[in-house]
Amino acid sequence: MKEIFSIRGLDIFQKNFQQVVLRSKGGDKFNEIVNKETSLLPPSSNLAITNNENFLFAKQSFDQWNLFYLKEKKHEEVLKFISTVNSDEEILASDYSYGQVYFEISGEKRNYYLNKLTHFDLREKKFPVFTMAQTLIAKIDCSVYNLKDKYLITCNSSFEEYFRERLLDSVNV
Amino acid sequence: MSAINNTKSFHLISSQKISFTFDGKKYTGFKGDTVASALLRNNIKLIGRSFKYHRPRGIYTCGIEEPNALIQILSEHSEPNTRATVKRIYEGMVIVSQNRWPSLKMDIGSINNLLSPIFSAGFYYKTFMGPKGFWKKVYEPIIRRTAGLGKPPKDFRSKSVHHYHNVDIVIVGGGLNGLIAAKKLINTDYDVLLIEQDSFLGGVLNNSKKIKDIDGQENVEWLKNTEDLIRKSKNIKILKDTLVTTYNFKDHLIAIEDKAVESAPTSYKSELALHKIRTKHTILANGHIERFISFRNNDLPGVMLASSFEKYIHRYGVVPDSNPIIFTNNSSTFSLLKSLVDLGCKPLAYIDYRNNSSIEKNILDFLKNNNIQTYTSSEIEGCDGTNILKEVSIRDDKKNIIKIKTSMLCVSGGINPDVHLFTQSKGLIKWDSKYLTFKPDKPFQNTITLGSASGNFNYQSLNEEVNDKLSFLKGAKEIKIKLNLNTADDLNIREIWETKHEKETLWSKSFIDLQNDVTTKDLSQAVSEGFDRIEHLKRFTTNSMGTDQGKISSINSLGIVSKILNKNISDVGTTIYRPPYSPLSFSAIAGRNTYEFYDPKRKTAIHSWHIKNNAVFEDVGQWKRPWYFKLNQSETMHQAVQRESRQLRETAGILDGSTLGKIEVKGKDALEFMNLMYTNAFTKMKPMTSRYVLMLGEDGMVKDDGIVSKINDQHFIATTTTGGAPKVLGDMEEYAQTEWPHLKVYMNSITEQFSTFNISGPKSRAIMRKVFSEVDFSNEKFPFMTFNTFNYLDTKVRIMRASFTGELGYEIYVPPKYALELWEKIFRNGKNLGLIPYGTETMHLLRAEKGYVVVGQDTDGTVTPVDLNLNWMIGKKKKDFIGKRSLSRSDTSKKNRKQLVGIIPIDKNKNIEEGQHIVEIKSLPSNIKEPIEYLGHITSSYHSPALKHCIAMALVKGGNQLMGKKIFVSKSNSSETVESEIVNPVFLDPNNRRLLS
Repeated sequence: MKEIFSIRGLDIFQKNFQQVVLRSKGGDKFNEIVNKETSLLPPSSNLAITNNENFLFAKQSFDQWNLFYLKEKKHEEVLKFISTVNSDEEILASDYSYGQVYFEISGEKRNYYLNKLTHFDLREKKFPVFTMAQTLIAKIDCSVYNLKDKYLITCNSSFEEYFRERLLDSVNV
Repeated sequence: MSAINNTKSFHLISSQKISFTFDGKKYTGFKGDTVASALLRNNIKLIGRSFKYHRPRGIYTCGIEEPNALIQILSEHSEPNTRATVKRIYEGMVIVSQNRWPSLKMDIGSINNLLSPIFSAGFYYKTFMGPKGFWKKVYEPIIRRTAGLGKPPKDFRSKSVHHYHNVDIVIVGGGLNGLIAAKKLINTDYDVLLIEQDSFLGGVLNNSKKIKDIDGQENVEWLKNTEDLIRKSKNIKILKDTLVTTYNFKDHLIAIEDKAVESAPTSYKSELALHKIRTKHTILANGHIERFISFRNNDLPGVMLASSFEKYIHRYGVVPDSNPIIFTNNSSTFSLLKSLVDLGCKPLAYIDYRNNSSIEKNILDFLKNNNIQTYTSSEIEGCDGTNILKEVSIRDDKKNIIKIKTSMLCVSGGINPDVHLFTQSKGLIKWDSKYLTFKPDKPFQNTITLGSASGNFNYQSLNEEVNDKLSFLKGAKEIKIKLNLNTADDLNIREIWETKHEKETLWSKSFIDLQNDVTTKDLSQAVSEGFDRIEHLKRFTTNSMGTDQGKISSINSLGIVSKILNKNISDVGTTIYRPPYSPLSFSAIAGRNTYEFYDPKRKTAIHSWHIKNNAVFEDVGQWKRPWYFKLNQSETMHQAVQRESRQLRETAGILDGSTLGKIEVKGKDALEFMNLMYTNAFTKMKPMTSRYVLMLGEDGMVKDDGIVSKINDQHFIATTTTGGAPKVLGDMEEYAQTEWPHLKVYMNSITEQFSTFNISGPKSRAIMRKVFSEVDFSNEKFPFMTFNTFNYLDTKVRIMRASFTGELGYEIYVPPKYALELWEKIFRNGKNLGLIPYGTETMHLLRAEKGYVVVGQDTDGTVTPVDLNLNWMIGKKKKDFIGKRSLSRSDTSKKNRKQLVGIIPIDKNKNIEEGQHIVEIKSLPSNIKEPIEYLGHITSSYHSPALKHCIAMALVKGGNQLMGKKIFVSKSNSSETVESEIVNPVFLDPNNRRLLS
């Protein structure tokens, strides 16, 4: 975890997670395969998030789930899980472990600062706790996870430097 | 008579003195003063010169509606056309007047006033027609030199920011109605944004003495209590110094906040914020704008709107003139009368267009009791003075002209609801014959208008209006405000738009649009010339087309035109008020999306290595890709590319190909899906092999290319071009979901999940053996276009044997976390074998030598696979694929389509330029009069270090039939051509010996 910025009411940290993107129509078999690895049932409602101490699981669309490893594993173990899931011809699991960057934004002023970068409605009544959304932040495609007292924002790692600079800039101007 | 301070004004309590300069002379104002209030405090009334006639102009209003007092602020990047009535002063501010030379008092340009007969309406449309050639050499340079008011600002780097808001209710205007609406919404479930253009809330409570007290409290006290209540409410946010400029569909507002009020801009702080607001409901409580009356020389400095004069007294604590004259056609000036008398400043005269019986008794009594010279059923005939008002001429009820010397005339021609935002939202307005104005009628969006913005000028009905119009809001409290008023009961207005002139000199003019110097005579002339539709008339005369959009005069022009046409004003209609309400600077619109943040930048996992090794980058989409690597500072691009190319063909080179798109496709029907998406046939393709592929559009034209690796019939990995990646993935998803929903297949972008290195050259196998010692890279075990996955550290890498250079080559796919480590390891192992990094330009050269095409360079959306001689990539036995049907259309299958060929110059010392035409004649005429048939154009051209001469690729009509034909290639800088020959586009190693070695 790397601190990017911290002032009163706002803390920005950069984190590293391993991630797997799963495509499937869902159903019992899918749940069973995933549950075996994570001890979690994939969320069934669109954009919902479930988690335990090891994993965070979000349903991004009607046929896509994002699985985060909250505790880092050896990459070969992640790849082994992907291989197991991919043995089912009705599921596609892709490794997103190091192709994404993760920013954790907390503090009471987090909405104020993020609203310099995104038009997305971050109010809790429109973006409830433990839901996710895909939107543009600082003109790039991001996924935002509302984890009650903080947001986890992910984007492609190629944007890492640009995105970090935009976050800092939004605080400084 | 001169200006005096109103020491009773809240503005002057504990105010701090501020120094600034105007036209080089130092003046002092008070903190919080606008430039206008500060200049008035210093008895400066002449502020600038007008647009067309260079007439002297002063301060007409006290706000955003100002048409005249536009200034240039040298201390702010020389910002031109700034409204003196809005801009606040700060210590050291440097201001100059505009559109004058050599000085404001003595302006040579004022000669235009004498030439005014030729500058009448439509002047621009009627002149400059001839003689031939005058436009470019005479008219345009002169017009460009004289156009505009101020001078363009200096270059500067703005730090304007954007703020996005999502709320339930926006209240535009923090005046009395806005505050009451906000008070009603305190602690409700609605997220509310209250926006006020001034630094203070309160509007009329600060600007006049129309309201004595509220709920038994002094105005100041009530304001403070109300603002405290609103601030403590968790659901309401207040934005001050913020002007709503735009009301878009759907309930989307744009507002500009001045973040540098009363201070000079700095390089580290944002000076403007553009607020983009999405709301459910908009409450427009943005008040009204007073309008003027046209009379002779109604533009002279010293003529001011009456309510503005009153605002200067109370809001800014300056009485612009201790003994002004008041001219009105309504009762709104009563509070100004009272304010002046309260301060011991008796007006010299009160001129009312209404007759005695139409004027409220309390006004007449007040005038009489205070012994103020009163003229009823009278009007101002005109004003006189050179650079400033000296004398007014009154036409009394008996039509006698009475002259009074004065330096200030306060005019009120009535009140218009500020309908600009309402009409921007596409709300309909209607004519109110009682108040002689247009007012909001039917909203188009979720818009509610309150108070004078809705055409309600009666303070007594305020409670009823707010409670009634906001009754649908759940939890909103019932409001009961008690107002003790200091005004007449009603506006009681009598129609007058223009008074009759007595004098007819070149100097005498009755203006309808002060900013664009449009006179009432111009309106008559335009109508007589047939421009009787208000929108046509506006454009012909430029009436209300200035930056003020005719805020104080547009209704007057409708009134005058209706009289000329003998129509009702409602039948004449209005022009459209377009956004923005007030000018927005480009820096505010751009926000932070400028300079380094103009476009997002994408960098690969080994970008830092490239920088350390002197890479010069090129932008490919948003990616920063190494273009070439400089060996030393003096090496040119051409030298570097030639060196990289030679070295790669001799030893080995490695390219960072991480930007190539990568898509993982999997599912029970993945094979069928891939067969449909690409031209190639995948059915007989063996697992763990790869294939160069083409994707077509439905029109049969090449859209993208790449390599598809087949893991098995249910699992594929496809690469795409760098720029084509999002489009290809999007198309795959769209076809899977809409055209072929029966196919069970999923796809994920894995572009970012793998860094890709392309190593090629005769020594590449040796280097790979050293890096991956456990892998057998022999031809037998690792043939061309095969791939496999290998363990590497605690991850896996995928290695594919493929090449885009024509040399023996491998592509390595590794998770980005391990990319830099592996890249450096490859270099450590390749050092003694002559490994070099190479960039995209070298890659392009090498592939051209081999005759490989680049989609987007050698194709342009009109090229089929057959045109590229890639017939072998089309699965002829396939039942269908995207674009198949189009390939058999008569046009796509005709013989003389443009086909890809190679071109080489006959004289090997000559170069061929990309993009040039291919013709059959040796010398092109310098002035082409007859069409010249051209055969095609050059798509790629390079100097080949292997062949030691220029090679080019071209699309040529029927090119395949023209092998060996001599043609001529045009040049960009002369009419000469390069004599060349059409050849096979594969210039090097046609038998693939190097590739398959």
